[in-house]
Amino acid sequence: MLHIARRLIVLVAALALGVTTAQGVTIGVLSPLTGGSAGTGLAQRAGFELALQEINAAGGVLGEPLRIIVEDTQANPAVGLAAFEKLMTEDDVEFIAGGFSSGVTLALIESFRTFQPIVMWIGGAVSGIGIDGFDGIEELIGEEEWFFHVHPWDYHNVEAATAFVADTGVQTVTLLHEDSAFGGPGSAGAQALLEDAGLTVPLREAFTSTLLGGTGDFRAAIAKAAATNADMLYWIGYDSDVVPLTSQIRELNYRPQHIFGAPPGWPSEFAAAPEAQCVTGLIGFMPNLPTPEAQAFTRAYVDLHGAEPDNYMAALAYANLWAYADAINAAGTTDQAAVIAELQTGTFRSPIGDWSFQPSIIAKHQGFTTDLWLVFQYQNGVREIVWPLEKATAPLVSCR
Amino acid sequence: MDLNLLAQALVSGILAAGLYALVSVGLALAIGVIGIVNFAHGEFFMIGAFLAYQLFVSFGIDPVWSLLLVAPALGLIGALIYTSTIRFVLKAPELNQMLLTFGIGIILTNMALLIWGGDPRTIAGIAYRSIGYQVGGVSIGLVPLASFVISFTLVLGLYWMLARTPIGRAMRAVAQNRTGAALVGLEVNRVYLVAFALSAALAGIGGVMIAVIQSPTPGVGLAFTLKAFAIVVVAGLGNIRGVLFASLFVAISESLVATLVPNGDTLRNAVFFAIIFAVLVWRSRRVA
Repeated sequence: MLHIARRLIVLVAALALGVTTAQGVTIGVLSPLTGGSAGTGLAQRAGFELALQEINAAGGVLGEPLRIIVEDTQANPAVGLAAFEKLMTEDDVEFIAGGFSSGVTLALIESFRTFQPIVMWIGGAVSGIGIDGFDGIEELIGEEEWFFHVHPWDYHNVEAATAFVADTGVQTVTLLHEDSAFGGPGSAGAQALLEDAGLTVPLREAFTSTLLGGTGDFRAAIAKAAATNADMLYWIGYDSDVVPLTSQIRELNYRPQHIFGAPPGWPSEFAAAPEAQCVTGLIGFMPNLPTPEAQAFTRAYVDLHGAEPDNYMAALAYANLWAYADAINAAGTTDQAAVIAELQTGTFRSPIGDWSFQPSIIAKHQGFTTDLWLVFQYQNGVREIVWPLEKATAPLVSCR
Repeated sequence: MDLNLLAQALVSGILAAGLYALVSVGLALAIGVIGIVNFAHGEFFMIGAFLAYQLFVSFGIDPVWSLLLVAPALGLIGALIYTSTIRFVLKAPELNQMLLTFGIGIILTNMALLIWGGDPRTIAGIAYRSIGYQVGGVSIGLVPLASFVISFTLVLGLYWMLARTPIGRAMRAVAQNRTGAALVGLEVNRVYLVAFALSAALAGIGGVMIAVIQSPTPGVGLAFTLKAFAIVVVAGLGNIRGVLFASLFVAISESLVATLVPNGDTLRNAVFFAIIFAVLVWRSRRVA
């Protein structure tokens, strides 16, 4: 009896001090592993796996191997909610990582607030700022201490894209965008910023993405864009829209100077397609980024997975898990307040370079911002970095 | 109103009707002959797209030629699925049949996810995907044109087969009266098997076309299944002849709305649901 009581006292004391059990720290990951966004989710998982391998090879977290439990959200709000609640109630995790899709994130916010784990989130860019009648993620999260947003907000994305567009010297830009919480607010923000920069936006037209029930026939929207004869076609959609959109632009004989896209990822084999030539795109990480961190990450990724990372979410996931490991190790405990303090003040490693959390317009903790973004261009079957100029591997060429 | 835009909308709608007809006629065949609503039809389509992709990646076979391999492969898959599952629920309540085909669809989707992953795949290196012929300010895409010609040829061929061949006549007999057809000596189960395999083969051909037009993903079949159901409803359940006209009607309506209405592309699904609604209301009023 005394023996059992002694063990109970030790257990209660350990829990009170936030000390982990012999099983070590477990981080719950929410990613879309199946469904239309599975490509992005699987890239995230690959990044988490690489970071996990390195963290545990370096001694783990608090002296124990780190564990992750990856739950599939299918990029579906209802499935994502169930997956999160399973992590909280069955797996008892204290830390949440991963994340993709603004729709899923919006659906999770109230549940995040109910359980209040530390959430370090690499997806969900729709801030809601500047959009009347719509509450975005940043607006709904507000100044919560436990929420850490790693991915840039939509206004950061638009700022980067607008800066690139302005640097190309074009005068007119037609915007095509998919019609969900991703493309709608993004294109509205882009139009406002482009017009503020003195450019003309003769058309902003929505389409249904192939990811969200569209058949991939974008000819009506492209024909309207072609009628504007704008210098640039700037589109916001998903990776499965890339092939039909770019091939139909050529088929309809629309020849803008630049075809610029901002999907979350690009089909890995697209580089070899003829219609890829001269297409430019916004991306968060490129394996040929000429920095030591990027090269080291790419080599390790190839060693583990046998191929280069072709979706920047792998790099963000890698940064996500390492930030947790470094913060918990620096805190020396899993106590929430201590870990939050370390996340607020620490500087973390990533394939993109060192990074830290700073306040954004509303939220208290924002990781990457405008500086994350690169613009690449498909040139003769290779993705060359063309912007910003200090990171460029080749000059930008016109499609005309 | 820009007349070029209007003409482009009409041409794009007419050409899109080919693929719609091909996908829908397979579904109509399953409903009309076997009397089963096959919710896995879009997944046959998706498997066809992935097989075309794999033949291109592994053996460099152009999708034009892979049509000849994918169609029989899907026919075989359809025959296997019919033999191992569908034939056991032919006399079961309709809900059971729907649940079975829905489950088959989920299994096929997840198999594709395991084999090919979730990333959109690209049949790269085919220059003809982007070719468009300019005719008086209107662009006629080579791939949509070829897809239209192939689809309509196949659909007309199917009509001919149903009207003029022994197996076609057997299918019509079974569709009209299963018991009567059995009484006069037709092997009903064999006719069903052929009809289901043919339905899957037609979906496979549509899948090859979609592999060229866009990126195969495990979810690529869903949008086309919805279109196919709309077209089959407009044509009249199981009415294979009506599919051709219904495909043209749905595709041209969608294209006109997508072109003439601001942000009209996002209304495509609303267009076909509105058409279904209008057709069902009109039919019920006519019956009343």
